[in-house]
Amino acid sequence: MKKSLILLVVAMMLVLAACGSTAKKENGTEKDAVAKKPEKSEVNLYTSRHYDVDNELYKKFEQETGIKVNVIKDEADVLIERIKREGTATKADLLLTADVGRLYRANEEGLLQTVSSDILAKQIPENLRDVDDMWVGLTKRARILVYNKDKVKPEELSTYEALTADQWKNRVLVRSSESVYNQSLLASFIEINGEEKATEWAQGIVNNLAQNPEGGDRDQAKAIAAGIGDVAIMNSYYFGQMLNSEEPEEVKVAESLGVFFPNQETTGTHVNISGAGVVKGSKNADNALKLLEFLTGEEAQSEFASANYEFPVNQNVEPSELLKSWGDFKEQDIPLSALGENNAKAIMIFNEVGWK
Amino acid sequence: MNKHLANVNGWTIGAVLIIILLFLPNVSIVTGVFSPVSENWAHIKEFMLFNYIKSSLTLVFFTALFTIIIGLSLAWLIAQYDFPLRNFMKWALILPLSIPPFIGAYTYHGIINYTGVIQKTLRNHFDVTPNPAYFDIMNVPGAIFIYTLFLYPYVYMITRIFLSHQSASLIESARTLGKGPLEIFFKVVLPISRVSIIGGASLVVLEVLNDYGVVKYFGIQTFSTAIFQTWFGLGDLDAAIKLAASLMGIVIFILVIERLLRGGKQFSYSTTKVRPLPLVRLKGRKAVFATLYTVVIFSVAFLIPILQLIDWVILTYGKVPMQDVLFYTKNSVIVAGLGAFLVIVFSLVVGNFSRVVNHKFAKILPKLTVLGYSIPGVVVAVAVITTFIALDRFLAPVYQYLGMDSELVLSVSLFMLISAYVIRFFAIGYNSIETGFDKIGTDFRDASRMLGANSLRTFFKIDVPMMKGAIISGFILVFVDILKEIPLTLILRPFNYDTLATKAFQYASDEKIMEASQASLLIVGVSTIAIFVFHKLLREEPK
Amino acid sequence: MFMDIKNLQFSYPKSPLNTVDNFSFTVEKGEVISILGRSGSGKSTLLRLIAGLEMPAGGAFTLNGKKMFCDKTFLQPEKRGIGMVFQDYALFPHMSVEENILFGLPKMSRKDKKKRAQEVLELVELIGFEKRYPHQLSGGQQQRVALARALAPEPELLLLDEPFSNLDTDLQVKIRGDLRRILKKAKTTAIFVTHNQNDAHALADRIVKIKDGKIEKIGRPCDLLGVSPTEIPGMVEITYEELIGV
Repeated sequence: MKKSLILLVVAMMLVLAACGSTAKKENGTEKDAVAKKPEKSEVNLYTSRHYDVDNELYKKFEQETGIKVNVIKDEADVLIERIKREGTATKADLLLTADVGRLYRANEEGLLQTVSSDILAKQIPENLRDVDDMWVGLTKRARILVYNKDKVKPEELSTYEALTADQWKNRVLVRSSESVYNQSLLASFIEINGEEKATEWAQGIVNNLAQNPEGGDRDQAKAIAAGIGDVAIMNSYYFGQMLNSEEPEEVKVAESLGVFFPNQETTGTHVNISGAGVVKGSKNADNALKLLEFLTGEEAQSEFASANYEFPVNQNVEPSELLKSWGDFKEQDIPLSALGENNAKAIMIFNEVGWK
Repeated sequence: MNKHLANVNGWTIGAVLIIILLFLPNVSIVTGVFSPVSENWAHIKEFMLFNYIKSSLTLVFFTALFTIIIGLSLAWLIAQYDFPLRNFMKWALILPLSIPPFIGAYTYHGIINYTGVIQKTLRNHFDVTPNPAYFDIMNVPGAIFIYTLFLYPYVYMITRIFLSHQSASLIESARTLGKGPLEIFFKVVLPISRVSIIGGASLVVLEVLNDYGVVKYFGIQTFSTAIFQTWFGLGDLDAAIKLAASLMGIVIFILVIERLLRGGKQFSYSTTKVRPLPLVRLKGRKAVFATLYTVVIFSVAFLIPILQLIDWVILTYGKVPMQDVLFYTKNSVIVAGLGAFLVIVFSLVVGNFSRVVNHKFAKILPKLTVLGYSIPGVVVAVAVITTFIALDRFLAPVYQYLGMDSELVLSVSLFMLISAYVIRFFAIGYNSIETGFDKIGTDFRDASRMLGANSLRTFFKIDVPMMKGAIISGFILVFVDILKEIPLTLILRPFNYDTLATKAFQYASDEKIMEASQASLLIVGVSTIAIFVFHKLLREEPK
Repeated sequence: MFMDIKNLQFSYPKSPLNTVDNFSFTVEKGEVISILGRSGSGKSTLLRLIAGLEMPAGGAFTLNGKKMFCDKTFLQPEKRGIGMVFQDYALFPHMSVEENILFGLPKMSRKDKKKRAQEVLELVELIGFEKRYPHQLSGGQQQRVALARALAPEPELLLLDEPFSNLDTDLQVKIRGDLRRILKKAKTTAIFVTHNQNDAHALADRIVKIKDGKIEKIGRPCDLLGVSPTEIPGMVEITYEELIGV
């Protein structure tokens, strides 16, 4: 009986291993069999970007190059941990994250290798690449202010810092500090203004909150429409989503709000950068580079812009009509690695000032 | 001579192997308690730990209270009374279990928020703009509401099976002693169903403790928030594991207290005289009330969210890529089916071992596997990855011998994911199986052996058929749980292996609940079919 | 000696006293033995030890020349060729009467099995009940099925645990008679435990009275209990019949 149990377990293992490999095959059925033939013609992605547009682009890349793109999606930190534990044996070739702060962390752990090429250098501006070429930016979203057009005149708005003034008491809306976008925002203030000023700012925002932080970015916009507060800090990407929502009421809400890029006269609007780095020990580093070049190329970048309301990093690509309609804006100019460096500090400040 | 040794042999070896496998990953977490304190620890203690524990305890206490009230009252109504719609409600009241709580949270928020159907209708058709504060569920009471709605079936299911099978003579004798229904409920039903209530409620409590989706979305800070803030925010996984380990410690403490409190009051099943409780037919106002009560619960916990999801599916029709839906559904069914099957097989082996080796240690050991269920799945996932990569390293010479070119084989296959499911959900399946073994006792087993059947033949010919109900219900519970499972699935799956749950999560985590509705609805659909089949199979079981 | 038990020892864990203490005893082939004692006297444990369902702390036991246990060996219950009728019968609820009986039959052709089942059903007078399920039978019928099931594999020794405790008093008297008739007809060596003197009196060739796990007395029913069978209502006829039958 013991034998039969062991047999059962072994059989199960074989079946499962087989299932795992068929899963790969089945997803690749769209692709013609010929293109799949050359061995190792694949690239393995660990990504925390989980958007349909990404999948479309991977498919396009497969069709153009014959390189199969395999994907595992999860939170960036979990993926980093998996790579770390897998060590040099890892199957991952490329790590994509929705926020570069996490790439910094992966690099600190020694999990990335340099990635550079003339094409990348041409397609991505220098400030959106790591100084040591450990990773590159893919897309940008701006952390903007949206406001109630009836109650707030755009002239009243100026900077993130100004929202801590008394006139905004009980009028400010923002989501919880668990959002990586807020963590990066505060991390950038630590870099620009120093820890003390950054703490003051966080405290000031907490004092002026219209309600306890709750929900996602979209919910902050809705709270303005509902009359709970007058101005919200949110991500341009989500605002774009709302304007194009299937739910007419969401569109109505978004249309009733004004968009404002803060800190134009001073340090510039904070941008969240989504980026990617090649994993150390990658067995398909060439393919990974090819994919990066593809994703920062003009075709992919304009897809990101039009389908996903992200700002392109490739300067040859125009933002989508919608993004352009909000006007040009000045971006924060800080070394991107600072966002990752200051992330833990930012969390501590959030906890100390009671920003939930 | 040790008197236990004679009866054991293969069963013991199998059971001990299984238990070790189940514990292995947890060990790496438990040892985290003793890891040295990092520089972040003081900060965690001062600003996170104690406040977060408070809200966790609030959530746990009230959710447990309300799930017990709702679950027990429904179980009692269904087990003892006949009223219109009873036969439908009997199984339909389990269905809310098929909705993952975080999807429930997004859906309910979607219904009542500013752009949701209620406020929208009031605003656009009645020109009423209500105070938005009335429609805020993103707070502690809101989270309790969500957890209660989607978790009460645990209490309902376990208690109902107990009441309808076990209580007949006790309740009838109470009736003949002239006791009214209320008195019977409080003096007889409540005390005798204590064990099953606690069994169901402890599953609820563990689910609430390990949940992250709902509290993250609602902006509530709980113990799991602390774990994630520490890991994702501070980047300090060791400290996060230490936190998780202390959470396990708290759970062990609660389990021990519960056991001590229970003391000798475990009501054991009578072995052969199992008689169903005859139903009392309700008439008039009482029947209306009973039907109304079940309909209200069913609507709020299932029908309303489902209608909203259907509405969203229609709204986003054509916007969400449909071509792969069958592929995801198939994947979901495969992993959930395999996972549940293995959990049940392992539970049977361990359960039989625990019964045969009639020793305290053999009873308590399997119970401890519930620990893995108390901490967030993603922490378990890290432990599983670590274990499997170590296993791959260990097996490396074998891979080389077989001519494989990769160092990682098991840890990039579906095997790792399924194993993780088994580790996480073993306690759920085992709970059912153990109850089944308790119910049949050892007499039939002894009788079979006296008729010359060996251990294995007895197991397949006597134990398994007699435990059909327990086996099916355990299978369904685990199956539905795996269908809903997210954190393990996300990180442990092989490349490109999407399931319905990962698809739903992908959209929902990006605040695209409408796009998530399609996959969510399919999870509910598959679960509903499973629960319905379960109901049918149980009904056909000869009494 | 057909069955021989020497210095049997047994205690439950954490119990300071031996439940069965230095128990020695022999049985002749075809004998019907009654073990009589109050509840808690260790009589059921004794039965389970003989069956192999409990493991003794010491002693030896041979049955028909075969070692059941001694210092070195312990034969699993399914290998002993001992049948048992349980106190609450333990009829498998998911099997019909016939399936219950067929379950215990050794490897033989389907036809032979069926034939054997018919034989034992005839013996217990339950022909026609093959397709019934246990819950469709009365208590007395269930008991007879349990007996038939235990007898079907032709055990060398039959054990009966409180065979009448679950029956009405009227039924007890009748079944008691039936049981003795069946046992004698099948020439079965049997040991049954009971707390009821009347049962012991009516059924047994010899009675073993035990107390605190020790043998108090052994003897023929009339010697031991000092009551003549004729004084128990309903018994005369049966004892007489038995005398003729054997």
